[in-house]
Amino acid sequence: MEGAADPDTPVLERTATDRAAALARLLHRECTRLLELYRRRQSHFWVRLKRWRSTQCIIDIECICACDSEVRLVNYRWFVRTWEHADHGALTKERENFLSHHVPGDERLVTLALCPEALTTAEQVGHVRSALRRCMELLECLITREVEEMGEELEGEYESLRKTVKDRLSDLVHSTAALLENGEGGCPPSPPLQCTEGQDEVEGSGSFAAKLWNYRVLLELIHWSDSASQTLHLFHSEKQGQQQQQLL
Amino acid sequence: MQGWVALALLLGLGVKRSLGQNGVGELPVPRGLIPIPDLRAQTLSLTWQSESSLFDLEIFHTELMNVVLNETVAVKADPVTGLHSWTWHSPLPLECTSHSVRIRARNQQSFSQWSPLETIPGSDIPERSESNMFPQDKVVPVGSNMSFCCIVKEKQDFKDIVYRGQEMSATRLSRRTYAITVTNQPPSGNTGTNVVCSSQLLILTGAVVFVGYPPGDEGLVCETRDLASAECSWKKGRDTHLRIKHSRTNYTLNGRECLEGKTRCTSKVWEENWTLVARNPLGTIQLTDSARLADRVHLLAPANVTAVEVKAWSATLQWSWSVAAYKKLEMVCQLQLFAHELSSTRNYSGPGLTSVMLENLWPDVDYTVTVRCGSKHGFWKWGDESTPFRIHTKMDRPDAPDVWVWMDSSNTGRVFWKPLSVRKSHGALNGYEVSQSSVEEDRWTPVSLPPGNFSYPIILNNSTDITVAVAARNPAGLSQPSTVTTPAYRADSQLSVSELLGTNGSFDLSWEPNANASGGYVVEWVPTGCSGLCTIDWKKVPKSDSSFTVKSDSLVAGVRYTVSVYALSTNAPMLLQRWKGYSQEMIPSQSVRELSANQTGSVVLLSWKAPEMKCQRGFIRGYTVYLANAAHLDLIANISDPEVQLYRVKGLSLNLYKFVVKAYTSAGEDAGSTVDIKMEMDTADMLFVGILVPLGTMFCCLILISICCYKKRDWVKKAFYPEIPGPKVPGDWSSPQGPLDVKPPPHSLVHIVDSPEWDFTKEGLFPVPEEEEESENDNIEVDTDSDEPALLRYYNQVVGDGSHSNHISDSSGSSTASVGSTQTEITYAGIQSPTSSQGACGGGGYRPQMQSVTGPAELQNEFEADFQDDGLNTGYKPQCSWQLDSPEAENFSGSLGSPTSVTSSQFLIPESSEEKPQPSNTWFHNFLSGKS
Repeated sequence: MEGAADPDTPVLERTATDRAAALARLLHRECTRLLELYRRRQSHFWVRLKRWRSTQCIIDIECICACDSEVRLVNYRWFVRTWEHADHGALTKERENFLSHHVPGDERLVTLALCPEALTTAEQVGHVRSALRRCMELLECLITREVEEMGEELEGEYESLRKTVKDRLSDLVHSTAALLENGEGGCPPSPPLQCTEGQDEVEGSGSFAAKLWNYRVLLELIHWSDSASQTLHLFHSEKQGQQQQQLL
Repeated sequence: MQGWVALALLLGLGVKRSLGQNGVGELPVPRGLIPIPDLRAQTLSLTWQSESSLFDLEIFHTELMNVVLNETVAVKADPVTGLHSWTWHSPLPLECTSHSVRIRARNQQSFSQWSPLETIPGSDIPERSESNMFPQDKVVPVGSNMSFCCIVKEKQDFKDIVYRGQEMSATRLSRRTYAITVTNQPPSGNTGTNVVCSSQLLILTGAVVFVGYPPGDEGLVCETRDLASAECSWKKGRDTHLRIKHSRTNYTLNGRECLEGKTRCTSKVWEENWTLVARNPLGTIQLTDSARLADRVHLLAPANVTAVEVKAWSATLQWSWSVAAYKKLEMVCQLQLFAHELSSTRNYSGPGLTSVMLENLWPDVDYTVTVRCGSKHGFWKWGDESTPFRIHTKMDRPDAPDVWVWMDSSNTGRVFWKPLSVRKSHGALNGYEVSQSSVEEDRWTPVSLPPGNFSYPIILNNSTDITVAVAARNPAGLSQPSTVTTPAYRADSQLSVSELLGTNGSFDLSWEPNANASGGYVVEWVPTGCSGLCTIDWKKVPKSDSSFTVKSDSLVAGVRYTVSVYALSTNAPMLLQRWKGYSQEMIPSQSVRELSANQTGSVVLLSWKAPEMKCQRGFIRGYTVYLANAAHLDLIANISDPEVQLYRVKGLSLNLYKFVVKAYTSAGEDAGSTVDIKMEMDTADMLFVGILVPLGTMFCCLILISICCYKKRDWVKKAFYPEIPGPKVPGDWSSPQGPLDVKPPPHSLVHIVDSPEWDFTKEGLFPVPEEEEESENDNIEVDTDSDEPALLRYYNQVVGDGSHSNHISDSSGSSTASVGSTQTEITYAGIQSPTSSQGACGGGGYRPQMQSVTGPAELQNEFEADFQDDGLNTGYKPQCSWQLDSPEAENFSGSLGSPTSVTSSQFLIPESSEEKPQPSNTWFHNFLSGKS
């Protein structure tokens, strides 16, 4: 009945905020998955222990890395001990499993240092949008680097999802922009990103630094997509409350 | 003066000697030592100036002053610059820590002072406080050894260095630097091998090393597609495992960089000699190829393939070339036609072929055509294939169908024709036209039938042959008619039908060639006994052949076929031969029918009928008869003649029997039919068994007993009829034949006592024993020791009449049992001596006279006791009493000899004999006496 009575602006706004929040949630899940794929993007590899060969016991290194830290450490050492007994012939590929050990510092690649203080949820949405825009730049840089480095040959699940995340992120940036009236909550434009290898790693250059940087970029994506999801959800709730008040 | 000079010389020599002994100070110290590091190559180039050519070099890790090199090298000065130079390859990256170098000149055992230390600062100096690892992004071959160092950030601890996930043993080089050495490195993954340096809490730094192989490409081949340019391709060899940009393999073809990809490179002009250089950081490989352009023509695919004229049996195909130079090229083109069962490949040649005419196509068929071409001269390979093009040929009139007529009686039959294949129908059929004409009627009467019909009935009205014509029709028209004349019907009974057995499911037929078979032969096979719409099959055989094999795919196993061979001529087909047989015999699907069992005496007659012909599924070779037991069948007969369908089972006793009869073919037995029969006795048997047999048996028993008794007559006589001594009668008893005057013998006095109480007085009689008799009785007593029974006692109810019988006090059980019986019962109470018999029997027993050996008093007592007993028991009946009472007392002489010692009068003198006394010479008496 309410839709029939007044189907115009409120419904559209509600749909847009709801859609943006859902988009952010979806993006968050995809970014999490993308990081997971990045850690093992070089395809699965399996280690078959010689001493268990008869039972065909297969140890997946990812399983070891996925455990909590203490268990992981135990498993890791066990794995190292048994490595000498492992069938090295099967081990021809590697993935960035070391990243599970890596704990980046407190400083973020994307900050809101230049943004004015956000007093309203709408302004927070504006801030999040600015962060997402920066994340977009970082992701584009990441893709450019990886394509330059690895070529276009690799077309696995990671590469496919990477493109999906980029498109989804772009969509979310535009969606959030449409939600904001008069560009509220906007932050001053950040200096253009210099997409050079290892620029954000102190004393670091080369492939290892690039891997760490990529990792940090993916962590930023997860962080800000999560933040966007929560902020947009709050924004959507507030909008709903306002509409109900208007209806009353 | 001379003395000072000599002293000076001596001093000089002494100084020189002393200097020569410690080696110091004589050779000049090398000057201007300059170490120049090459960090990427991990080398340290040293240059210095010196007049010597032999030097001692020492290199230290500066912080800990660990000597990493101490070597004597011979280095000559560069003639142009006058500098000595020497290069040291460091196993560790030079950035790992600071290195210090010093040098001294050497000449045999003498050497100069060391030069001052020259130091190359590492990255672990305090000014560079961050973590770092060396070397970075190095590309090395598989199997190589390598050292990595980790410079720990100031104020950070060091935990480990992990190479490829494996913790390595680290060596400390300086305060902040730790190093590892890895050996025999395996190939890296896509993004290199990670080396990670960690503190207890976090990753400090790391490096990536790319371990791979030099290029392994092979097989360079260049060809032209447009008759001008060149396309070279090669096969990628072993995977280099180097995928990142700066380690990927680069290719150059005749000095020009290849940009197309990893296995293909082009050149705008043909150069006949080609050199491909494949290079990556680990090595270079060079591939060559050499050929003339005409020998390497690889044509492109024909474009715009189309059919310009499509007919029923042919079509014209056209195409074009995208390269103008092809127009003059002598080429060969291959057309591949794909159709169901009609695929073929055809080659055409000519200069710049752009069209061909496809002949020998089949009408109304969908063809898919592809075209590819190649250079005719110096053929290299087929060019690319065109995209498939579809052609559908037009229809044409069908071929004449294959027709045959099958007669199922003398005046009825059915004409059959086979469906036309795609190759023969030339289009979808609309139907068939069947016409028939007879000799009398010279006109055809056509009938149209729909396309699903493949037979038509015919009737010979006046038993004359008729000719049937069948034609197929499709949209393109009517086929030529196939004609067949009805053959004469021949029943099987009119022929000698041979038995035919299949070979591997087929029938191999052969027959005598027939001169009249101008049109060849027709072999016809049809299921035997078929009526109505039967599956008739036939095959026309050329007249040159006189054999044919009916393939198994047109035959069904277990079905009896009638196979006939006809000779075809201008007249009606003539039957030459007929067989009946099975392509493959199977066991009958039906058991024998109407199995019955009839008993005749001890014989059972089994009869049955064969399974129905359709169910026989093979020639019945015979029958087997089984007697079914509880769990198995016992074969009792194998009847190998299938015409015999009854069997007699003999010698059966009275019992229940179950018979199983099975028919069998060469494939085996059927399931079998079962019949039960209970053997019963017939009337004659019952008479024989019920009457005659017991009678005969009884008679035999009597004979046997008689024989036995005769053989043992002495014993019998002694047992039943002991010899009684004859009475000693003084005088001649035998002389008078007149009436017997009974008077007591003089030596045997009988006192007769009259007593009013004892009317019957029989017990009142008692013999008075004589002395002689006593002695004789004594003798008898002695005889009782013999085996023969000395005395038998007889009990008979007749002895005492009903009034006198009182069995209550009878001590003899046997006697008691005998009293109530109507039968004579003989009880052998055992051998008794006369003396002991009194005690054993108690009262009531017989007391022969000779037993009275006691005195008169005893006698009297005994008598009284006996009397009292007799009041209760059967009393004694002395012979005299009944002899006197008996009216035939005069005939009693024959019995007189016996009853002195036998208690039973009945046995000796039966009841009947009381009325009709028998003479003493009866057969039984004679028998016992042994008289004949």
